[in-house]
Amino acid sequence: MLEVHTWEPNANSGKPLFCLHEKGVPFIYHYVDMGAHEHHGPDFLAINPDGTIPAIVHNGFTMTESTPAMEYIDEAFLGPPLRPQDAFRRWQMRVLMRFMDNVVAPSLAMIASNRLAAPRFSGEDPGELRRKLDRIPLPERRVTWEQLMFHSTPQEEIAESERRVSDAIRRFDSILANQKWLAGDSFSLADICVFATFYGLPHSREEDVNDEASPHLMRWLRACHVRPGLQAALRMGKGFVTERAAEVRRRIGVPETVAA
Amino acid sequence: MMRLHYAPGSAHSAAVRIVLAEKGVEPELRKLDLVHLEQHSPEYLAVNCHGTVPLLEDNGRKLFESFAILEYLDETYPDPPLIGDDPQKSYIARKWGKYVETHIAPHLAIVRWAALGGRVAAHAQAGLDRLLPERAALWRRALQGFGSDQLEASARAMLTAGDRLAADLAATGWLAGDRMTLGDIAVYPHAAQFGALGLPLPKKVDAWLARMAERPSVQAIREDLFPVAVMGPEPGRWG
Repeated sequence: MLEVHTWEPNANSGKPLFCLHEKGVPFIYHYVDMGAHEHHGPDFLAINPDGTIPAIVHNGFTMTESTPAMEYIDEAFLGPPLRPQDAFRRWQMRVLMRFMDNVVAPSLAMIASNRLAAPRFSGEDPGELRRKLDRIPLPERRVTWEQLMFHSTPQEEIAESERRVSDAIRRFDSILANQKWLAGDSFSLADICVFATFYGLPHSREEDVNDEASPHLMRWLRACHVRPGLQAALRMGKGFVTERAAEVRRRIGVPETVAA
Repeated sequence: MMRLHYAPGSAHSAAVRIVLAEKGVEPELRKLDLVHLEQHSPEYLAVNCHGTVPLLEDNGRKLFESFAILEYLDETYPDPPLIGDDPQKSYIARKWGKYVETHIAPHLAIVRWAALGGRVAAHAQAGLDRLLPERAALWRRALQGFGSDQLEASARAMLTAGDRLAADLAATGWLAGDRMTLGDIAVYPHAAQFGALGLPLPKKVDAWLARMAERPSVQAIREDLFPVAVMGPEPGRWG
């Protein structure tokens, strides 16, 4: 039995959902409401003491690192292969995923959470916020949440994140100018890893991600959005992620390939 | 035609050399001197703009990012297999490959810089201006000195790493399954520096270090396992 404890089909939280839909593997989706801080509550901490999303449990084996877990899914289940055959292409896939996980996705998360999540904490009782912080197991996550709750993310850090995201958009666009997918001729985990965070950029970062500024990235985004597996995963959300993805598909002219 | 750019004192380089020795592969070696920051020289930056080691050249292709190199070597030279075909063990080995990059190496570099009194000699200062912005910023932070909060956080990260290693070693004495994998090899050269820097490790981890040190592949590079005051990967900026 395969169970996925996660939030929305978005970023790290969404990686197993996208991957399992592409692979065609059935699973049980346990929704963890990050907005209500359920990932720092006792039920989720019993599954993952680090309090990070997602947690994937396969026959009693628990995985909490989303990128290695995607490789596990590709190895452990039948279905279309999601890694290239060639060792050099696999290296390319892994380096891209590392760049995404360590540099690009955290930068986008910093930008998005300061824009979307931080305002929700305005006016909340500081004592209550401190109690919420105390429940977060990992010290680096506590620092991040503290900056969000108390609006103390340094402006120069946000500016640096903006620089990194714009740089990554240019870099991916130039890779995709020469090849169909991020790790060569075939769709791979690298595409899932980037799409999980980039699916909404034609909407949220229209100034960088449009047909003039980044045509190859746009071609790739359309090719991802039209895939029934990725579309089905995006439909699993309970709120704004699913709506935003549908809005992006309308804007960039991608048809619905999964029955509503 | 395979060529490895590496440096004594670079734990990431050591991991690649251990895998090469386990596979019996002998590339041409290009040695760099980290003490004199040769990795920031214009000649080396022309080879690798990141100014980091190791870098593997294979048939004209340049491969960086050491854990990805380890996997590339394992797939290119499958005998003996070092990640295996068991998905659970592969997951654990890859989890450690990632943990080295995100939690061990960045904080070890900070602790090491403070412990060894890191500095950049006058003749090597110009090298910092040649680096990519994020690498240059990291080195400039080191030159300013890390504050006590950062040093405490990094020292705590090392204690946590020791505890997590001990937990995964408990069942078999290896990190992933009942034999050495890329997970052990990726972590080992970093953990081998802990003693010289006064960082404590649980007994189980010490026993594992001793077991690793006995292997001929590790014996062959043991003189490269010393700490040098150089920056590692960037510590996480957001969670």
